[in-house]
Amino acid sequence: MSLGNTAAAKRPVLEAQGISKHYGGIVALDKVDLTLNEGEVLAIVGDNGAGKSTLIKALTGAIAKTTGVIRFDGAETQIDTPGDAKTAGIETVYQDLALVNEISITKNVFLGREIVRDDWLGRWLGVLDFKKMDAEIRDLFDKLDIRIADIYRDAEAFSGGQRQAVALSKTVMFGKRVAILDEPTAALGVRESKMAMDLVRSLKDHGLSVIMITHNMQHVLNYCDRVMVLRLGRLVAVRDVADVDGDTLVGLITGAKEAGAQA
Amino acid sequence: MSNTDGHSGTSNPGTSAAWIVRIRHDLMQIWPVLASLILIYGFFFTMSPPFRSIDTLLSIFGQASILAILACGTTIVLISGGLDLSVGSIFAVVGVSVGIFMAEWGLPPFAAVCLGLAIGAALGALNGTIQVLTKVPAFIVTLGGLTAYKGLAEILASGRDLSRFPDAFKFFGTGNAIPMVIMFAAALLTGLFLTKTRLGNRAFAIGGNEEVARLSGVPIAKSRIYYYMLGGLLAGLAAMVEVAKLNFAMPARGQSYELYAIAAVVIGGTSLFGGRGGVGKTLLGMFIMQTIIVGLSYLGVGTSYQRIAIGAIIIAAVYWDVWRRTAR
Ligand SMILES: Nc1ncnc2c1ncn2[C@@H]1O[C@H](COP(=O)(O)OP(=O)(O)OP(=O)(O)O)[C@@H](O)[C@H]1O
Ligand SMILES: [Mg+2]
Repeated sequence: MSLGNTAAAKRPVLEAQGISKHYGGIVALDKVDLTLNEGEVLAIVGDNGAGKSTLIKALTGAIAKTTGVIRFDGAETQIDTPGDAKTAGIETVYQDLALVNEISITKNVFLGREIVRDDWLGRWLGVLDFKKMDAEIRDLFDKLDIRIADIYRDAEAFSGGQRQAVALSKTVMFGKRVAILDEPTAALGVRESKMAMDLVRSLKDHGLSVIMITHNMQHVLNYCDRVMVLRLGRLVAVRDVADVDGDTLVGLITGAKEAGAQA
Repeated sequence: MSNTDGHSGTSNPGTSAAWIVRIRHDLMQIWPVLASLILIYGFFFTMSPPFRSIDTLLSIFGQASILAILACGTTIVLISGGLDLSVGSIFAVVGVSVGIFMAEWGLPPFAAVCLGLAIGAALGALNGTIQVLTKVPAFIVTLGGLTAYKGLAEILASGRDLSRFPDAFKFFGTGNAIPMVIMFAAALLTGLFLTKTRLGNRAFAIGGNEEVARLSGVPIAKSRIYYYMLGGLLAGLAAMVEVAKLNFAMPARGQSYELYAIAAVVIGGTSLFGGRGGVGKTLLGMFIMQTIIVGLSYLGVGTSYQRIAIGAIIIAAVYWDVWRRTAR
């Protein structure tokens, strides 16, 4: 239970307690707690293999957690499949698993939530309404300033930055409450990184609460409200971003600095 | 939009830009296959005067039609990243079953056909269900189905004379024309399914990257069962066209059809690894294969040598698929 100041004043959207994940004898995640407050951007940092991706996969039903309880809007919620998370209003961009190369941008954005025609063909045979899906994507890309014209082309034809922008746009389109992003700027150039982070900011402006995994300390300091640090599967610190600097964070990540009380 | 069936251009989604992008994309993918077909046909055309007749051309289409109907189902299953080796045996079970329904039970053709389709669908769905429940690989489950369903067909047929069917049923096997019409209808419906419907579109996503599809909330297991079900249904349809054409049913029919179907699908350019393909490609692949078989027999090449030729072409087609994947 956090005794903090600013953060505790806000209402928590998503709370997780005692999340563990064991792979056989390997403890990838050891009883980690997490609180995401309404309207904040929460960063998760840690070295490679610290358990960041495992944590958000366990949170969103992508993998079965070994132990742990999840509360959404204060009520205990079963999130056992990715579908459960989406139903709750949580939209996730997983690391390296954002798009299917073989299908178009439109089909990627709407995968799993395709719009069917508003007639008997749609209702009975699941005939898709491509016109409507294309139009919604054009609106969305306009709004987010994503410059991709040929949304009919297969996803593999696009650059890393464009693909990441498409993946992020999915969270704007469908995320009702929470967006979770696993390294949204990994392998992106300077310009593309800035574009991705602007999208993160606009998620916040759209009223979503955001969890973002990153290795970029500058992004934590510039775009996030709080930060949690994982090391070897354990939670070692939670801080308000206002109270830390880059060196402190690096110290916490590597273990050079031992953590005191949580923010 | 990895689909190349000729009809898909007629009612395209979206603006004219979508239309142009898709046509260009399809042409880029399909030209090597189309060029091969023309070259192969041209080769036999120059080599063998009797091959030049229009009757030969029609018989190529006619002989291709039954296998092509079955291969429509194979196309769906392969696009979804699956594999069904049992459709040749499903073909045998359905052929024998409709024989029994009409020759022994005296059921009217319409009822026999409906039951035949249902049996094909059920056996296909059983393959899919066993796979998703046990997680045993498709190759093994459907290899089991290949022998088990074959045994079932033999048991059903033993001691029975399954021949001399009603004219209304035999109509479906009339000449080359009616099987061809059924083939094109089956291909059209399969193409519409793959390009226009939610379930059909998800086959590309599941075959392309099952994990991403799962994380996107696509129900993988349920969808897969449907794809195998459709594969079985189309195998059943093909079986009934053949029974109508031959006017008898026996459990030996359908032998190796699954392999010829897979060969045609892959020759046409549908990926053996899932995620890409289309039913128009499958028709082209089937025509290529059938042209080679018919052409070689016109040149006096025996069936054993024909098999060797087809085998070599399959390997070449898969090599091309692998090469395309790595070249990107
Ligand atoms: N399927 C698995 N089987 C066994 N161990 C696994 C599996 N998935 C992850 N792990 C282990 O769990 C630990 C945490 O992995 P995780 O992917 O969560 O790290 P991460 O913090 O996201 O690292 P990165 O910054 O490199 O993305 C690692 O030691 C990893 O080897
Ligand atoms: Mg990770």
